[in-house]
Amino acid sequence: MKISRDWLQTFFEQPLPDAAALADALTFHAFEVESIENVGLTKSHMDQVFDVKVTPNRGHDCLSHRGIAKEISAILNIPLAHDPLRMRLNLIPVATNLAISIQEPKLCSRYIAGMIRGVKVGPSPEWLRKHLEAVGQKSINNVVDATNFVMFNIGQPLHAFDAGQLTEKGGRYAIQVRLARVGEKMLALDDKEYGLSDSMMVIADAHSGAAIGVAGVKGGKPAGVNENTTDIIIESANFDGVSVRKTAAALKLRTDASVRFEQVISPELAAYGMHAVAGLIVKVAGGEIVGFVDEYPFRTHRVLNGIEVSIKEVNRVLGTNFGETDIIDVFTRLGLPFEKNDDAFIVTPPFERLDLLIPEDIIEEVGRIVGYDKISAVELPPFPKQPEVNPNFYAAEHEREDLISKGYSEVFTSVFADKGERVVTNKVDGVRPYLRTSLIPGLEDALLKNARNKDLLGLKEVKLFDIGTVWKSGKEVTMLATIGEKEKANERVLEPIAVNTYEHLPTSSTGNYQTFSKYPFIVRDIAMWVPAGTEADDVLKVIRENSGELLVRSEKFDEFRKNDKVSYAFRLLFQSFDRTLFDEDANARMENVNDAVKEKGWEVR
Amino acid sequence: MQRGHTHPISSLIREANGIFYEMGFTLAEGPLIESEWYNFDALNVPKDHPARDMQDTFFIKDEPGMVLRTHTSPVQIRYMEEQIKKGNLPPYRVIVPGKVFRNEATDITHEAEFFQIEGLAVGEDVTLAHLKGTLENFFQQLFKGADVEIRFRPSFFPFTEPSVEVDMRLVGENVPEKLRDKWIEMMGAGMVHPSVLKNSGVDPEKYQGFAFGMGLDRLALLRWGIDDVRLMHSADLRFINQF
Repeated sequence: MKISRDWLQTFFEQPLPDAAALADALTFHAFEVESIENVGLTKSHMDQVFDVKVTPNRGHDCLSHRGIAKEISAILNIPLAHDPLRMRLNLIPVATNLAISIQEPKLCSRYIAGMIRGVKVGPSPEWLRKHLEAVGQKSINNVVDATNFVMFNIGQPLHAFDAGQLTEKGGRYAIQVRLARVGEKMLALDDKEYGLSDSMMVIADAHSGAAIGVAGVKGGKPAGVNENTTDIIIESANFDGVSVRKTAAALKLRTDASVRFEQVISPELAAYGMHAVAGLIVKVAGGEIVGFVDEYPFRTHRVLNGIEVSIKEVNRVLGTNFGETDIIDVFTRLGLPFEKNDDAFIVTPPFERLDLLIPEDIIEEVGRIVGYDKISAVELPPFPKQPEVNPNFYAAEHEREDLISKGYSEVFTSVFADKGERVVTNKVDGVRPYLRTSLIPGLEDALLKNARNKDLLGLKEVKLFDIGTVWKSGKEVTMLATIGEKEKANERVLEPIAVNTYEHLPTSSTGNYQTFSKYPFIVRDIAMWVPAGTEADDVLKVIRENSGELLVRSEKFDEFRKNDKVSYAFRLLFQSFDRTLFDEDANARMENVNDAVKEKGWEVR
Repeated sequence: MQRGHTHPISSLIREANGIFYEMGFTLAEGPLIESEWYNFDALNVPKDHPARDMQDTFFIKDEPGMVLRTHTSPVQIRYMEEQIKKGNLPPYRVIVPGKVFRNEATDITHEAEFFQIEGLAVGEDVTLAHLKGTLENFFQQLFKGADVEIRFRPSFFPFTEPSVEVDMRLVGENVPEKLRDKWIEMMGAGMVHPSVLKNSGVDPEKYQGFAFGMGLDRLALLRWGIDDVRLMHSADLRFINQF
């Protein structure tokens, strides 16, 4: 989530440390900060925007500036100047001209509607535009901006409907939260028409029956707020996370609202959202609050239980020696209410901390706020038993070493194939969806590919093996297969070998891997007569010195003696890292080599 | 006779097994086609978790509830369950190297098939401090000649609580310049979630432990300065014969 440093500062009286220090504080005690971006507002003032990777367990409370401010407050031990979620609320008066009905309370645990009359829709004040633009939002108008601001400020998605576009009957508006009808369509605020299905939740005008929003995802165009709007109905609701996720996925419409519902937020938050947005709209767009209706069928289920955790348990899990004061300090900084009961604490998480359920959750809070750097590295005590030798792994290792000593090299080939007994249903690239029944086809491909590079590899014969899984006759089996240019492919089941100790086998001593060229190489041979007693290495040295930078491999491949002369034959490979070589490239370099050889008095054959 | 070459992943697994064996870890395995129970549910990954959506996991046709395992973690459950069945109570120490699958398009940093190594240590008093010590020891032996530093950052995984991200830094003159003094993200880890122990038949009131899971392909990339993960599965001797 994008978090503005200026926006964060509004939660604190004392000036916050610089962006780098804030990013470090978050990264090592809460969430990874993926980037810090300077957002230029004026020449004299830059805001900094953090991209904070909020973990899925904290989507409940940290997809908001308030959530991140609370973390910063706990980590750096700087008090919040005010906490919008810790005030007493009273949503009054009750609006008598609004009726709410929820058809599926399981999918909508709370729906608060608030009505404001006489707003003047127009541009937002600068401070509001500035905050929204810093986090990448486009300013739309003062009413819509106010709903977005509160969402990014405390995490509650909100929506404003134009009451003038809803049907009034007997002086009352009626909003219904219901499942969409089969074949129902809705034109959304993004000017696209969405086809809905009966598993999706919509907000409807109960009098007209028309859908005016896809619940938790997007508002409808016809009831959208525009410059002619004067009376508005604001929605602050709580929708089921799974339902919203499925709807957003099906409509390919993930929004800032749907993301927050998907992560599951507390229905308690809805009241704070409504209170904040109603106040803000009156402030930036004028108007008068008519009242609120709060439909909250599941209130009684939302009591969070106290979590009991002892000092001993904290240290037993973390491997630390924290004392009572260390732990109390963490609870205080995080604002976690607790009671002390002998050696144990009973922590009662605030409503927004839906992630805190078991003692380990509390232990994690202690660990991360104190800092994982305070945990020392301790070696495990000796294991009381001799570890077992895995018979399958032993067998694989044994065979591997045997084959390597016989000149075979090990390759891994894909488990996916053109045919087989079992098949995956949903392969992204769509090709080769079967699971192989044999290692041989993959190994044959590998042989063909590698045989072309035999000269480059300096091999007399390419020989390969693969130890891998196949799925055959309804079973998953580990097979061993070999292949060579001069031998047929062979495949057998890798049989386990039960022993008591592993063999001591060599591991790679390679330092750094060297990138190889992906372009084809050119082979040239040169043969010559030299006086007996001339070393092949000395000849090779002359060849190498005169063949230029494209020579990648050179070796002697033939030698015979006739009287006082010796014939040597050498094979030269030319290759470039950035292009395909032409015959001329090799010819030019061979001419140099020929000249140098002749100059030595050697006779090119 | 000219010797052939070991695949770098095999070499790495051999080396890892050697190091962990000395620390009392047994090498364990599990099937590649795995049930959703072992791959997700038992690991505390809820039914509606986005990771269970179509795009990340390969599902097997006509075999409802079966997937290509997305990580080596199901073997945690399988191993503990098997021990309990045999009447062997903790302590347990296992590593699980093996192939895993993610249903994604491949590029220089992503492969649909890749290798992971899982570690699990369960006992009455195995702590997060032991996790730090164990990993420090492992990397110190793997990157011989360098001084290894380990650090934890908070993270989240459904199957561990607390969860951490593990970074490593290699210090010293022998370290290749590309890696020297730089913090590198190595793996996810943490203390085994009590539900995971419970789902395996281990009493979470009495036992606790740590678990970690690390990409072996990525480790090989770092170890040898390899620039394209697809080389691992290319069966190309221009690559393999360098090891």
